[in-house]
Order: sequence, then C-alpha cells, then structure tokens
Amino acid sequence: MKTVKAAKSLSVENLPLDVATQDKARADALPSIQKDMLRTYDPAADNVRRFLDLLAERITRPVAASLAACVHCGLCVESCHYALTHPDDPTMTPVYKADQIRKIFKRRIDWTGRIFPWWVKAGTPRGDEDLNRLKNIVFGTCSACRRCTLNCPMGVDTAILIRFTRGLLTELGIVPEGVFNVSRDEWETGNQMAVTPLDFLETLQWMRDDLRADPKLAGLDIPVDLPGCDFMYTINPREIKFDPRSIAQAAKIFHLAGEKWTLPSAGWDQTNFGLFSGDDRLGGALARNLYEAAIRLRAGRIVISECGHGYRSTRWEGYNWAQYDQDLPSESVVRTLQRYLREKRIRVDKTKNDLPVTFHDSCNVARSGGMTEEPRDVLRRVCADFREMTPNRTENYCCTGGGGLLSMAEYRPLRMEAAAIKARQLEATGAKLVCTICHNCVDGLNDVIKHYKLDMRVVQVLELVENALVY
Amino acid sequence: MSPLLQFVEDRLQIAALLFMASVYVIRVLWLFHFRAVRERAAAEGRASAGAGYSLSNIARPWAMESTRTRPLFYLQFVVFHLGVTAAIAATFIIPYAPQWLAPRGRVITFQALMAAAFVVAVFRLVRRLRRPVLQLVSTPDDYAAITLMMAYFILGILAVPNRPDRGEGPMIAFFILTAFFLVVVPFSKISHYLYYPFTRIILGRTLGRRGVLPVRRPRSRQTAEERGEEVGA
Repeated sequence: MKTVKAAKSLSVENLPLDVATQDKARADALPSIQKDMLRTYDPAADNVRRFLDLLAERITRPVAASLAACVHCGLCVESCHYALTHPDDPTMTPVYKADQIRKIFKRRIDWTGRIFPWWVKAGTPRGDEDLNRLKNIVFGTCSACRRCTLNCPMGVDTAILIRFTRGLLTELGIVPEGVFNVSRDEWETGNQMAVTPLDFLETLQWMRDDLRADPKLAGLDIPVDLPGCDFMYTINPREIKFDPRSIAQAAKIFHLAGEKWTLPSAGWDQTNFGLFSGDDRLGGALARNLYEAAIRLRAGRIVISECGHGYRSTRWEGYNWAQYDQDLPSESVVRTLQRYLREKRIRVDKTKNDLPVTFHDSCNVARSGGMTEEPRDVLRRVCADFREMTPNRTENYCCTGGGGLLSMAEYRPLRMEAAAIKARQLEATGAKLVCTICHNCVDGLNDVIKHYKLDMRVVQVLELVENALVY
Repeated sequence: MSPLLQFVEDRLQIAALLFMASVYVIRVLWLFHFRAVRERAAAEGRASAGAGYSLSNIARPWAMESTRTRPLFYLQFVVFHLGVTAAIAATFIIPYAPQWLAPRGRVITFQALMAAAFVVAVFRLVRRLRRPVLQLVSTPDDYAAITLMMAYFILGILAVPNRPDRGEGPMIAFFILTAFFLVVVPFSKISHYLYYPFTRIILGRTLGRRGVLPVRRPRSRQTAEERGEEVGA
C-alpha cells in the first residue's frame, strides 16, 4: 500500500489530562471508587514511582520479550495506518510508540540500560507531564490493531506493549476522559453503556412485539434467563441503547432455525473495556460475570453477537483475565449462522441482497481471533455480489475506531487523518455495502464514510442474513 | 605463527565464548523469571503449529506483507546474515580446521559472502542515518552494532586466507574483535538472535491456539455455489 498523505498533521502528545469526570465520580463517592476498583488521578501522589513499581510488578514474559527484542529495523512503519498517512511524522510509527515504554523498561529493568542508559537511550519519566504524554501516545496514536505485530520479523507484539502501558496508566487514573467514563459505567453497572435492567428488558419486549406483528412469527420469543438452553446469547450494549434491530434480526433467525436460546438478565454484555484500558481486573470481572451467567443458566454454550473486541475478550482474553478455565464452548454468532446455513436450518435467497457487498475484517476477530473464513462463507451464501477488499483477512487495515478510540473524542481529528488509508481501501472495492462483524467497526467505518464522503453504507452479517431469509 | 596470534585464536576465544555462554544462560534465566501467561481458553488451533509457523517466518518472505512487498530488503537480510555466518564460521575453522579453508574456492566464497554483507551493512547504515524514523529511534548501540559488523566483515575478508606468513596484523585484529564481540554482544542489540526464538514462539503459540497462525489462505475464491454446494433454498 502506498503512503497516503493526510491533509494535515495533528500532534496529540501534549493534549492535557482531563479529570473533570474523575473529580465528579470521587465527589459522588461511587461504590467502585470506594471499593478501590476504579482508580482516579491523584496529583499529589508520586505517580512516577507508582508507575515504575507497577511496571516491575506486572511485566510478563511476552511483554518482556517484546520489549527486549526490537532491533529498530523500521519494518513495522509501513504496516501502520497512522504512519502511512503521516509519512513525514516519525512519531506516528509503531516502533516510536513502543519505544516510549521500551526506554523505561531499559532504564529500570534491562541490564545495559541500567548501567549505560545513554547507550540504549533509556530513560525514566520525569513527572506527571511525561506520563500524560505517554498516555496521549498509547491511547491516542494507536488502535492496537496488531497489524505491525504480524509484520514484525522479530515477532515483537507492539499491540500488547501498548495495552500493557495503558494498563499501568489506568491504575494511576492517567487516562482519557472517555476511557474513565466507560470503565466507570462498567464497574458500576456491569455494562459499558450503563443500560439499566429495565431498559434492557423493555427493549427486548419491544423487539419481540415488533417481530410478533408478522403473523409468520407469532410464536417468537426473546427469552431471558431461560435455563437449560442450547446457548446463551450475549450482546453489545450498543444493541440495546442505539440499534436494537440486530437483536430482532438474531431473534428472528434463531426462531426460524428452531433454536432453544436465551439471554441472561445479568452478564449479557460481551463487550469488555478492560481490553482497551489494559485493566485486567475490570476485564476479569466482566468476563467472569458472563461465564458464570452461562453456568447459572446451564447453557450448552455461549454465543457472542457481532462485536470484534467483544469476541476477542469473551472468546479468548477474558478467561485469562478472570483466571477462569473455559468450561463451556463459546462462538461468534457468525459461526452459528454458518451452521444454520450449512445444515439448511434456515432458507435464504441471495438475490434479495443484490447490492455489491465487501467485507471488512475486524482486527480483533481476524488478527487476534482467527476467524476470517466463516463470515465470507456466510456472505457468499446470502449476497449476490460479494467482493473482497484489498488487503483483507489478517492484512486488513483497522476501521480506525479500534482500541477504544471511539470513546476518546480528543483524538478523533488525528484518527480521521489516519482513516485516509481505510477510505481508499473501501472506495477501491466499488461496493455499496461494507459488511463487518463488529459494532466498533460499524461506528468507525461510518465515521470514515461520512468524513471522506463515500457512497456506501455499513451493514452487519445478521442484517444481510435476515434480509435474505425465505420463510 | 606468533604466540600472540595463537593466543587470540584459541585461548582468548574460548574464554570469551565461555563468558558469552554464561551471560546467555543468565539472560535466558532472566527472561524466564518474568511470569508466563497461561492460556485458559479452549484452543481452536494448535499452539505448536502456530509456533512452528511463526518461527519459520524467517524463511518465508511471502508470509508477511512487510517482506513480501520488499524483496530487496529481505535479500539484504539474507545476504547480511550469510556474511555473519561466514565470519563466525571462520573464527572456528581457522584455528581448529584450517585445512578446510585450503581450497581457494572456499576462501573466495567466504570472502564474497562477507564482502556482500559489508555492502549491505553500508546500505543499512545509510538507511539508518537518512530515514527520519530510524534517526529518531536509533541508539548509539544501533549505530555501533552495524559499524562494528562492517569492520568485522573487512577483517574477516583479510583473515580467511589464513596466511599469517603474509602478516598477522589482520588476523590478530579479527580474532580480538571476535573476542570483543563475544563479550559485548550479550549486552547489545546484536543479541537479538537470542530473543528471536522466544518472541516468535510466544507469539506463535498464542496465535496458533486461536487459529490465526498458520495464516489460513482461502481454499478457493469460488463461491459455494461455484464449488457445487447447495446453498440456501
């Protein structure tokens, strides 16, 4: 991919730390703060000392290996959408971003840097300003898409270094306001959009009643807490809060497939901001809620609705964060749909989706989750004109909204500059619809389409399958 | 052969090698003292297959976009490391199996490999000095490593004919530099090859379990219908 120069270059390194909502949360004496689960910034504390202690305490073997092994070859540069769109700005490159934590590691932990720091450019943050600068780099200039990781000859996993550093800063409350807000909501309510139990149940009833208006679906239900089902369905709070059509689409398909399924009344949120904030405690608590709900309901397996980071968190990372050995199978709903189609449990007519469709691989699903062919198989069965975008699968570019960046408004202008790569990639397909299996990507791609005035719309697999149904 | 050359070829090398081996053992133990991460999710792929794929990436330039789209860069990598291998091999062959280097063709091959590696090293140094991102991240260690390797290749070219009768200076310098490398390498970026298996295996095992690695290539670009499968209604 050629470099695509952004119209302008915006530096985010010096954006200030905004703690207004942290102050309010402390003033409100939120339970999560009282119980020391949600951390806030204390300007009077020795944050640098704490940061360094946490670094030494939390470092794992994969992190240490990735910190030690970089040879500064620069091959990662052209794999990063930030670097590609800012060819004249070396601070946008993965190696520079990773080096910001690497130099601290070298100064505090690695041998050579402790004795001859100047020889390896090792250094220690001098104060909270440096930590804030680090925050802006690891939260604001990287979507942790892991594209550079898969392009590193040494196998350096820059994305885990970014997440590791985010986690240290989260402990100190040195985080973007949006990250704090979402983390607060997850600690306080168990879901990232502070959906109340009443909102949850009413939305499900509303969707059920809408579906039942179709005489052919009169017996349809959206069950909650039904024990002994084939699977427990878990969703993204965005589906409740902003776009419940996907719940209706799933319910309709499950009904027509003759599935015995349920949603849990608690532990239904498969998203997990711990992935983005680097907070393993939050990640573990949320994942455990979900896994335990499935056991409580004696579900046969866990099915995860279309969500990239939710899939990665629930299917893979959550078990590690929660220190919970997987006891039930879990899968993406896309795999469930693929099974229905293969087993002919639902009937479809692909001519109902006659617009050209392309597929955007979510980073968390493809590069960190290993699921690339299943959505394509489904799309080929339900769309008349499916076309690949280039590059694709594990080489696809991020939607630019990954890594929690959608919640960090202060970095949006830079994100939109970096989106030039994605815009060109989308435009080149000639498709009218771009399908993705990630809610984050839906919003990220919508931003790209709007910003670059592309003539296309974002859809998800459930929508296309539902539209192709014959019943 | 002078006692000095004899000493730097043999005893000095053995002492330096023992030192390097000891430091490497400590280095590996140091890496292992960091907590390992146990994967608790049920695997969809094989960790060993992922690790094998990841580890052998070095021999598959088509596997990564970064090397696939830059064949010249990959070729430089191969040439440089063949030169390194030749230089290291020479440090063992000259003192312990000098007859192996008796045929002129072998000497010329070794010299050619190191000369080509020297040229690549010059390219790499220029690249490091010219590209803004590499200027920004490069450390004195990075510059020293490539510069010392350039000196090493030159001395290696002069040393492999193994003709102390024509002057011992280059050979003594070659072996002293070898000993210096053996002592310094564990503390410099040149020790990256020690980490390579660890980073590669760790990443490969993680992504192998998830079915990301080995990278799955589609069986066919044909649609399911084109493959003769009955689809939908």
